[in-house]
Amino acid sequence: MSTPALLRFLARLCIVAVPFAGTAAPAVDFNRDVRPILSDRCFACHGFDANKRKGGLRLDTREGALAGGKSGKPAFVAGKPDQSALVKRIRHTDPEEVMPPPEHPRSLSGEEKDLLVRWIAEGGKYADHWAYSPVQRPSVPQGDRSQVHPVDAFIADRLKREGVEPLAAADRRTLVRRLSLDLHGVAPDPESVEKFAASKDSRAWEKLVDLFLDSPRFAERQTQMWLDLVRYADSIGFHGDCTVSVWPYRDYVLRAFQENRPFDRFTREQIAGDLLPGATDETRIASGYNRLNRMSTEGGVQDKEYLAKYAADRVRTTSITWLGSTMGCAECHDHKFDPISTRDFYSFAAFFADLQEQGFYDRGFGENEWGPRLRLPSPEQKSELERLDTAIARERAVLEAASDDSLAGSRAAWESAVLAADAGKSLGWGIQKPAALSTVNGARLEAAGDWVRASGPNTDTETYIVRLRPGTGRWTALRLQTGTDEELPGNRIARNGTTFHVSGVDLELRDPAGSRVVDIARVQVSAASEGFPGSSLIDPDPSTTWAVGEGHSRDHQAVLHFRNPIETGSETELVFRIHHGSRFPRTAIGRFQVALSSWTSPGLGSGVPEDVLKSLRKPVAERGKEDVERIRKHHRTVAPELAGTWGRLAELQDQRSLLLGKIPSTLISEARKEPRVMRVLARGNWMDESGPVVSPAIPARFQTDSTKTAPERRPTRLDLAGWLTHPDNPMTARVFVNRQWKNLFGAGLSRVLDDVGSQGEWPSHPELLDWLAAEFMSPSPALARPGRTPHAWDVKHLVRVVVTSAAYRRSSVATPSLLERDPDNRLLARQGRFRVDAETVRDSALAASGLLVEQVGGPSVRPPQPEGYWAALNFPKREYVPGVGEELHRRSLYTHWQRTFVHPAMAAFDAPSREECTANRVNSNTPLQALVLLNDVEFAEAARALATEEFRRSGKRPETAVAALWRRVVSRPATPQELAVLLDLFRQQTARYATAPTDAAELLSVGAAPLAKDLPQAELAGVTAVARAVLNLHETITRN
Amino acid sequence: MNSQTIPDFLTRRHFLGRSARGLGTMALASLLAPSLFAQAAKPPIGSKGFIQPLHHPAKVRRVIYLYMAGGPSHLETFDPKPKLGELHGKPMPESFTKGQQLAQLQGQELKCFGPQWGFRRYGKSGLEFSENLPLLGDHADEMCLIRSMYTDQINHDPAHMLMNTGSIIAGRPSFGSWLLYGLGSETEDLPGFVVMVSSGRGGQMQPIAARQWSSGMLPSRFQGVKFSGQGDPVLYLQPPRGVERGDQRQVIDAVNRLNRLEHEQVADPEILTRIAQYEMAFRMQASVPDLMDTSREPAKVFELYGCRPGDGSFASNCLLARRLAERGTRFIQLYHRDWDHHGNLKNDIRLKHDEIDRACHALLTDLKERGLWEDTLVLWGGEFGRTPMSQSGNGRDHHIKGFTTWMAGGGVRGGMAHGATDELGYAAVDSPVHVNDLHATILHLFGIDHRRLAVRHQGLDVRLTGIAGEVVKDVLA
Repeated sequence: MSTPALLRFLARLCIVAVPFAGTAAPAVDFNRDVRPILSDRCFACHGFDANKRKGGLRLDTREGALAGGKSGKPAFVAGKPDQSALVKRIRHTDPEEVMPPPEHPRSLSGEEKDLLVRWIAEGGKYADHWAYSPVQRPSVPQGDRSQVHPVDAFIADRLKREGVEPLAAADRRTLVRRLSLDLHGVAPDPESVEKFAASKDSRAWEKLVDLFLDSPRFAERQTQMWLDLVRYADSIGFHGDCTVSVWPYRDYVLRAFQENRPFDRFTREQIAGDLLPGATDETRIASGYNRLNRMSTEGGVQDKEYLAKYAADRVRTTSITWLGSTMGCAECHDHKFDPISTRDFYSFAAFFADLQEQGFYDRGFGENEWGPRLRLPSPEQKSELERLDTAIARERAVLEAASDDSLAGSRAAWESAVLAADAGKSLGWGIQKPAALSTVNGARLEAAGDWVRASGPNTDTETYIVRLRPGTGRWTALRLQTGTDEELPGNRIARNGTTFHVSGVDLELRDPAGSRVVDIARVQVSAASEGFPGSSLIDPDPSTTWAVGEGHSRDHQAVLHFRNPIETGSETELVFRIHHGSRFPRTAIGRFQVALSSWTSPGLGSGVPEDVLKSLRKPVAERGKEDVERIRKHHRTVAPELAGTWGRLAELQDQRSLLLGKIPSTLISEARKEPRVMRVLARGNWMDESGPVVSPAIPARFQTDSTKTAPERRPTRLDLAGWLTHPDNPMTARVFVNRQWKNLFGAGLSRVLDDVGSQGEWPSHPELLDWLAAEFMSPSPALARPGRTPHAWDVKHLVRVVVTSAAYRRSSVATPSLLERDPDNRLLARQGRFRVDAETVRDSALAASGLLVEQVGGPSVRPPQPEGYWAALNFPKREYVPGVGEELHRRSLYTHWQRTFVHPAMAAFDAPSREECTANRVNSNTPLQALVLLNDVEFAEAARALATEEFRRSGKRPETAVAALWRRVVSRPATPQELAVLLDLFRQQTARYATAPTDAAELLSVGAAPLAKDLPQAELAGVTAVARAVLNLHETITRN
Repeated sequence: MNSQTIPDFLTRRHFLGRSARGLGTMALASLLAPSLFAQAAKPPIGSKGFIQPLHHPAKVRRVIYLYMAGGPSHLETFDPKPKLGELHGKPMPESFTKGQQLAQLQGQELKCFGPQWGFRRYGKSGLEFSENLPLLGDHADEMCLIRSMYTDQINHDPAHMLMNTGSIIAGRPSFGSWLLYGLGSETEDLPGFVVMVSSGRGGQMQPIAARQWSSGMLPSRFQGVKFSGQGDPVLYLQPPRGVERGDQRQVIDAVNRLNRLEHEQVADPEILTRIAQYEMAFRMQASVPDLMDTSREPAKVFELYGCRPGDGSFASNCLLARRLAERGTRFIQLYHRDWDHHGNLKNDIRLKHDEIDRACHALLTDLKERGLWEDTLVLWGGEFGRTPMSQSGNGRDHHIKGFTTWMAGGGVRGGMAHGATDELGYAAVDSPVHVNDLHATILHLFGIDHRRLAVRHQGLDVRLTGIAGEVVKDVLA
């Protein structure tokens, strides 16, 4: 601790200690003064957890304390400290007698002992825990007529009592920046700043606030915070951490905040959207909330164990998100500090026991096999899907209608042809050793044995050229087989990504007579991912690709059937090209071989499957029933009579696959017929089946007459949702309001955002917190936006009320005396200063540079990320493939969230992994953050684009450009001193780049933004250096 | 130390308990005059972190944790079980396995699978371990095997969590983060907690998650920094293209000058921290490449380790670990992620023997020769062990009831085996050591009472050892 910090800290000791030191000390308040001490030092052994209670004594209730323990002696005698056992024990000098016992990690200080003594002297009164008493709207203090805003009235009341003067309002530019960072999560553009700074309108602030609340950016910012709580991510979290599609849930949250959906409805839709009487796609998407837990595909996982893990995870997340309650602590034992029993924990978990889910997801690799999901086709996609399904059914019916008898003739001919070819060994595939190998963009192809392996440069797109000299022959098909290789980063099969993407193939026949393109009639593949069918190899559309799933890697095959057999001679060369030219960069095949067949209807593995061939080789008389059936079945797939139907069916199925690949899907909740049995697990042990079976119930402490459900009916998630926002629920509104406050001031009124229980923090302004909670649940029209009627649980109204207060608009620059008096700003005489969130750091840089693409919602995107960051992932092994075009510059809310490896630039700025509910991000200050801002290609690109924009706009006047870019980033004009530093840097760097044009060219081509060849390059590089510096400023990433 | 870089309530809580009134006189005294305190106690190894002063004299300054991900078979490495060999192919006695959790063997017939490789006695102590680890055998008299390890989690992902954070709930600080938080860093130029990952030959590589070195709810400056064998050794270490070191210096100078101007206006100590972090970042841009550049190591060093410069192997990482140790990094964790031998165990584990034998021998030798031995703890082990029963006739499944971890270096008794599994290597029966106990013991070596290294989170005093953990006194020198 530095010296000033130490001094401030000591000063703080004094102000806190003073009220209790003098003779005229105010009365002891149980919740503020005593409960924290009892909770921290006593409750672990003398609290709610009956199993761990020592000596039978509990101190968490007055009845318990007065009843005493096994000895029957009361813990204290009200008003008589001298006769109180508690006082005797805390003052004891004998280590055997003193409380808390010496092995307790924290002893009682002298002040704390005095406080307990005074509390008993004053009657030893208890009070309901602040967060557990019903929310009642306190009356607004009427102290000062000038404080018309209720928020200010509460704050002024305390400031007056403490004798502290609040700071004046911050300057107008700071205010716009503050509002923009808080409400939108991105710094404002200079135009809005200057407009507000110059405005003479007395209602300019309210108008600005309303404008900001209406923007989709408001919803994006709120969504970001909500997603931390519900631990939304794009991957499953455990072990292989495979991807999962649930982004439509994220977009649901966006819509809810944008439409200002009442928070009680928002709650209901997420917890029980599938059970609502009028459930719609929208509410079902919302019910994806229940499916955001981590999941496992690890071999050896036992369903039961993981179902228990998922259930506990849901209790932790739901209780912290809505209740600010650490119910998760009661999984193995009764809660030490709060009135939550183990039975409460499992009864709460039982609400979710109806969910269809698995503990172990067997083949979940990227195929969206993660339990119930909802496909979300557009109306056009829906009718197209119906059309295809009807057509597919029609072709299937034709196949079924074809009797075996009608095919008997062709079967006999086929059988003899197969046997003849088998005898002549011309049935299978002849692997072709390439005569020559080359590529278009520089990859190296090397033959080793039957295989060809790719290495060397891996460019975004690549074409492999394989030259074959098969010699004299007549060929019907070519087979491309891909192989696995441990060294290949792309799921062992591709050079990158999680699979290969082949956009097309073509085959050219060259002989002395000339060259011609071989007509490929159809493609048959061993496997294809949804949306990436084999027919993409020969369709004219270069954007479609053949790709295989993320699953355990294995060999894959594509057979290209020629429309007519081709003849080759000794001089003939076949040129086979494999194109990788899709929007999936660098996903070329890693290892492959090519084979040719001369058999009339070759299949994938061999001309005819081995088992069919075995049956065929048997003399007819010796064939068993199975043989006959096998032959008959296989023949149906190759019978010339049905060839047209099979062909049409394959085409339709490929069209369907392509269509499905474009239709988004999302995880949803679906109820089982019978809910799973939920038991109390002794000490959380899932193998112990001795515990009592429980039904869904809210914690006993919070049950009231009006929260009761009919005894004969099993309560459901709907009942849970109803209770979460029930007027008798004391926590939900307080918790939500407190978190919004944190977002607007840097710290909550109670600073512990994830625990409002005994171990949480007594709020600095309890009445204000309660007033805001009441205002959230039932808003006063008087405070509403003109012309609007607020509704119950109105999020925008709540935010509006807070940001229109004078307290919100105060300066954040503390005076030395204020800093000494109130270092933690508990009195709210000033505003907070804090580093902005990871997302805001990046989004603000993108916004300033003009690169930011503002498009609300849609699938998650992949901005650039350092290579190799995912190297430690496996099952499947994969590499990160960045997006293209606009995907590179979307808001960070939409960045792909990989739980085990969160985007490293965001992780450096404390973005959580979203494996667990996060109510409060930590906020640190590290060298890695400096490295990100200095060196990440995204920030260098932003600096370059920002410099280019301002330099061009300034008419190539560097001084103007530098001043303008500063203003754009920091939202205020630079001081002369600051400008001098910037210009110094500009001059140094311009001089340096003038002598190093190659370096300038490199710097000026970082990232994907367009080049600016029209501007003088050395000077532009100089301005870029200045832009880099400005994007690295502490002020740039600070909200003040 | 600047407490402002940690959320202030977290910092103060840690120092003061729940409120200023909870301030103990000891804590106050140490805050006022930490140097006085340090003098009074004269500990040979001090703390630059949040534990002031150390709870008791420390034996070690740093740990090199050789983390064998996947779950090494104790039965082919450090736990000889001749009886299991005798029963090879016979049914596993039900008395061992009844009612026990299994992973991939659930519902299958359980047969004994004898040790696939022989054992040998090494050193004066006659410590017995695999015949395939002869070089490591040279150090037997300084090694302490804990043959009675057990854990709670039978699948890799949660087992890694438990081994690294003492908890299976995500968001808890990792072992290295706790040490950094408690003791601070001893280097200004390099991260205090470094992770490196290597793969082996053959087998299937374990996925490793960043949460295994996460700082959890502690600020991210306590998190592990993963050094990579490919690309930038540290993410974002290289300046953008076209920016040379001199350019970077000029930009940082401007940034720092401007930040100082802001500080003059608003006197926010966070700004001073920011300036310091930019300086550290700049130093790292030189110190990390310098660390990774082994080209000036003499040829005999590469012979000793059996690696080539920068080949990314486990051996090469062991060499880098020694270089990190020399430079003051406190927690060095090397993952070798190729120990999940469900099948083909005999051949595949032989490859592992080779990969670790020379590398570990080299590391231990090197530490001894460079005077780093006495204050370095070397820890070797995985997240669990493997079944004495066969899987598919040629492998072993995950196993949590008994496995081996070994330690060597400062403060550790050498040439001994602590605890034992039963005669078939199934369960730790003699002096079982839980993961929490292992953590408590290692913290003890660092001068930390594991019960007193705690941070308030969600109403709880979160600790590396949860509510458990006993120091294993038997292994202490």
